[in-house]
Amino acid sequence: MLEPCDSLVLADGVALGEGRVVDAVAEASWPVNASGSFVLERTGCRLESVVAELAAAFALPLETAREDVLAFAWQLNRLGLVNVRRGSRRLRAAVVWVRLAVRLAPSGTIPSFTARRRRIDTTTPLRAFASVVRGAAGRGTALALGTFAAGAHLSLVTGRPSLLVPAAVGVSVGAGVVVHEGGHAAALVGIPGALVIRGHRIYVLHAPTESRRRRVVAAAGPALTALIGLVVLTVLPPLGLPALGLAGAPAAVHACALTVLAGDGRTACGL
Amino acid sequence: MRALRAFVLGAAATGVLAYAAAAVAAGLAQAQDGLLDVHVGALVVVRVASDGASTVTTFGPGLLVASAIGGLLNALGAAWLARRARRRPPMA
Repeated sequence: MLEPCDSLVLADGVALGEGRVVDAVAEASWPVNASGSFVLERTGCRLESVVAELAAAFALPLETAREDVLAFAWQLNRLGLVNVRRGSRRLRAAVVWVRLAVRLAPSGTIPSFTARRRRIDTTTPLRAFASVVRGAAGRGTALALGTFAAGAHLSLVTGRPSLLVPAAVGVSVGAGVVVHEGGHAAALVGIPGALVIRGHRIYVLHAPTESRRRRVVAAAGPALTALIGLVVLTVLPPLGLPALGLAGAPAAVHACALTVLAGDGRTACGL
Repeated sequence: MRALRAFVLGAAATGVLAYAAAAVAAGLAQAQDGLLDVHVGALVVVRVASDGASTVTTFGPGLLVASAIGGLLNALGAAWLARRARRRPPMA
């Protein structure tokens, strides 16, 4: 969801060239017309002021300029070329989003999420992994807390109250997502990459690479997560921690992504 | 080569999933002091047995069979997807 007080910022690795937006990470470029360049030259300005300037410069009705700017901003954000800098506090933006979601509920739709793209430092596997951890930590924590709350509730309902197992499973679910993307990033050494988070989707964007490397990058994420899950499941129960050993199961489930049922698996198979 | 890759990845994925499911089932069975015997035909997948003083968990060859079946299904799925992609008309 975009608000008039928000502003656009070009994502790391994206630049405005001669009539083109150039993405150095994806090694792709898109043509932009005069009004598109006009908007992109005003990154960092509030959208409402960009709309007003565009309407004045191109002699457009204000409503038409607003529709054009918002559609253009959405398109660029969907492609991961620009990030949205919030003009309001995060809590206020969340409240506005929830209000809109409630209004749209009868039609069965929810307001769109904006995408956020962050650069991944791929100079070494460790740095690449750390970049993803920094970028996805918030998402992983939210996922872990949600899983913990659901698990604790379930343990109460089933008459076996426990905080330890839901906490361990929550950590496994949240950390699993972060490690999965971190695994992709660690295999990307030397290749420009970026982490993109959009709604519930989180993925690593990278420059085109030769077929074998692409397969390795695709397999690395789920393989690393599943391996960690397997180790947790195998090592902790004999150490007298069977309940914590259960936490390996959600991480092991990432192995599903090695099959053709998932995009990673199809790429890893060379499809 | 693609079929082999798909088989290996599918077998690995199914093996991990089957092992995880068996380990969780065994853990739950042990927590409730119960017994567990999961097998496919004559092949044991996981067995939790107690001799009074101790509990023994055994993972059997059924896991390998499950892996092989998963690998085969993944290879078939990959072949089907590849054939479908070849039949698709080129974009104008």
